[in-house]
Amino acid sequence: MRCDRACALLSTFLVATTLAALTACVGERHVHDANTLVAAIEGDPGHLNPAITTNGGVHTAAALLYDGLLTLDSTLAPRPALATRWEVFAEGARYRFHLRQGVRWHDGQPFTSADVKFTFDSLLLRFHARTRASMAPALLRVTAVDDSTVDFVFRHPYAPLLQQLDVDEAPIMPRHLFVGRDPLRNPANLAPVGTGPFRFVSYQTNGEIRYASNREYFGGPPALQNLVLRIIPDAGTRVIALEAGEVDWLFTVPGPERARLARDARVRLMPGSVSAGGGNCIITMGFNLDRPWFRDVRSRRAVAHAVNRAQFLDRVLFGEGRAADAPISSHIPFAYASGLRIPAYDTARATALLDSVGWVRSGDAVRTARHVPGIADGTPFVINLKVLPGQSTYGDLLRAQLRVIGIDLRVVTLESAVFAQTVFTARDFDTAIAAYCNGTDPEIGVRRQYVSTSIAPIPFSNMAGYRNSVMDSLFDLASAALVVDERRRLYGEIQRLAVHDQPYVWLVETLGTRAHVARCHGFDPTSHFAATAVCTP
Amino acid sequence: MSGRFLLQRLLQLLPAVAGIVLVGFLLVHLAPGDPVIALAGESGDSAYYAFMRQRFGLDRPLFEQLGIYAQRVAVGDLGASYVYGRSAMSVILERVPATLLLTGTALLIAIIGALPLGILAARRPHTAGDLGISSTALAMYSTPVFLIGQLAILLFALHGGLFPVQGMFDAGTSTQGAAHLWDLARHLMLPAFVLAAHELAVLVRVTRGALAHEMTVEHVRTARGKGVSEFGVLMRHTLPRALLPVITVVGGRAGQLVTGAVVVEVVFGWPGIGRLLLAALQSRDIPVLLGIFMLVSVSVVVVNLITDLVYAARDPRVELA
Repeated sequence: MRCDRACALLSTFLVATTLAALTACVGERHVHDANTLVAAIEGDPGHLNPAITTNGGVHTAAALLYDGLLTLDSTLAPRPALATRWEVFAEGARYRFHLRQGVRWHDGQPFTSADVKFTFDSLLLRFHARTRASMAPALLRVTAVDDSTVDFVFRHPYAPLLQQLDVDEAPIMPRHLFVGRDPLRNPANLAPVGTGPFRFVSYQTNGEIRYASNREYFGGPPALQNLVLRIIPDAGTRVIALEAGEVDWLFTVPGPERARLARDARVRLMPGSVSAGGGNCIITMGFNLDRPWFRDVRSRRAVAHAVNRAQFLDRVLFGEGRAADAPISSHIPFAYASGLRIPAYDTARATALLDSVGWVRSGDAVRTARHVPGIADGTPFVINLKVLPGQSTYGDLLRAQLRVIGIDLRVVTLESAVFAQTVFTARDFDTAIAAYCNGTDPEIGVRRQYVSTSIAPIPFSNMAGYRNSVMDSLFDLASAALVVDERRRLYGEIQRLAVHDQPYVWLVETLGTRAHVARCHGFDPTSHFAATAVCTP
Repeated sequence: MSGRFLLQRLLQLLPAVAGIVLVGFLLVHLAPGDPVIALAGESGDSAYYAFMRQRFGLDRPLFEQLGIYAQRVAVGDLGASYVYGRSAMSVILERVPATLLLTGTALLIAIIGALPLGILAARRPHTAGDLGISSTALAMYSTPVFLIGQLAILLFALHGGLFPVQGMFDAGTSTQGAAHLWDLARHLMLPAFVLAAHELAVLVRVTRGALAHEMTVEHVRTARGKGVSEFGVLMRHTLPRALLPVITVVGGRAGQLVTGAVVVEVVFGWPGIGRLLLAALQSRDIPVLLGIFMLVSVSVVVVNLITDLVYAARDPRVELA
């Protein structure tokens, strides 16, 4: 092909600009300095005040700046933090905490009992949804006895308090920056001052948050001098950024990527069940008991028998987690009941149960009703399952499993805010899947699922609409029982009753695998993950 | 062109923005999804959600909320972001430069690349060169941006090591001055090229089509007959006329500069308006959402106005009145 002057000029221009752009940007693979840890987070938290929200993103980003009165070890036993010791009086109706002496806020002001009282009275009990919902009805007052002593006085014995005082459930905030100001519009929400192992440096909206080590930290200064939380919304990009050495720490690893990272010598995986804003989660299928499909417990048990948990573990979680065998997470050892007789995978039993209710089937067709109370004869067993986008794979598998016993499950995926409104406010669903995060005590994340007072337009409350006065009483007794053995007994009864009534099907317990570069080690499993970490060049 | 024309066009902004505010307001309020639940998280009690609803004025009747919002907007106040707890305007404006840099660079790359490629294709229509360029453009146009983005990351960032994977700057080191700009350029190139791929494909096809048509008109044949060189024909007779539809397309694309990069910003972790829009949508941050709607509507009208002006300058037959 003949190429004249114009053609030659254009071709030269194209080649030159492409080469210039490429060569100008070629860079060496970057490895940052050993004193800085870069962690990837999914979204912009919006602010850094963990006392006014239960949003997990805020807690992940802000936990390193603050402390609770206590911290929890791997067995969820309370350990000293801002409080060095505590006493229990009046059979659990009054707790006295002795505060650590000499602690200062990052701006140099002294930390005192006034900060604790202010944090509870003006922030946590008003704005922190979990603490407000669980503690406020029972708490009479918080009293600053002197500068280093605080009393919590309850209306009646209140057992779970010591599990509710870590930095996730009750971060202590500086009174001197918040008193007399609107907590939701306070400048300190964006330029926070805490007592934690890291202090705030800068916050670029939608970009990154920078921290520096608190050299005065009472637990000893972190080895890392700088910490950066880089906001990377796409899960795949986060993993690639880790592999490319641009980030050093991931809070979560998608299941399909885990096997690949496990083979990468530059990466270490760190399984865990607790995350900021609520851990110990059980993926749960709930029946809407207001509707006639599952009013008969035999129908609910039939579904439970049709569920093959091993498949969920293998195909959805890629082996990360465990099949749920109790209504309470096995990661709350004192409350989890082992050896419960939950319905085992048995499609023959499921079929027999549905037949006995009146759901008849010919061949492989969808079952139809015959004398099923509340349902017109001939109605096919076609029901919806409402799920969040991140849980649609559970829905797909559940649909396949229930089809085997003649139930046609129509999976409807709803975006988060719409799911909350549709399922919990409008109660417009037949069945739904939700991740119920049990937290560190059943009072935090289990009670809401079963007591009748939690049937309300509140996200992740009593989704099933389950009412049983015996269950209500058992939860009240368990929350007031101070002796661990007594609580264990009561939660055992609660779980046996839940399995008997089967308002839910507990599918799998999820774990959250974290990943970090091999050159860093010593990460803490709690929200203060970077406080003890060390990186080498 | 008269000042009256400019004034008229700028005045057209007012009903357009008012319409956008009204429709946008009703859409986001009537859509399912409670902003308080999205904002406050789970596990509250009913009194808590009622309290939060009252804090944000969401307990008032819809038209009262609309009235309050319209009054605020009239004095340039978009209200406070539910998520950030500060002025929605400042939250939005902080993100504009990053998006303009990304989309502006992408558009520039697309224009610089598309014109020569379009010319090359049009000069020898239906040859192997034309077929190659046109087919590649069609393939780039048809491939979803997220796929191009992920492939680009795998090829050029992870395996090739040519570019960083994400962000605007390296997070692990702090740079100043020229090194800072260099760092920015390295981070910018991959998302800009990915974003440009789609634009480039469109512009190549428009340029090629317009130019191929112009090459066949009679005055071009006359010019060639008079002995004008091919380069002269291109620069003086065909390209100036062929550029008119290209300007129209570029104008239309430029109108989307502010929001046109949601997917690329998410894939490359680029801290711009597109990501803010997505996050605001997910968290039902109504003041930020409506603010972005308004910003987009104003930018589309303004860019269309600029397009008209450029069009008139290029084509004397067009009168602005």
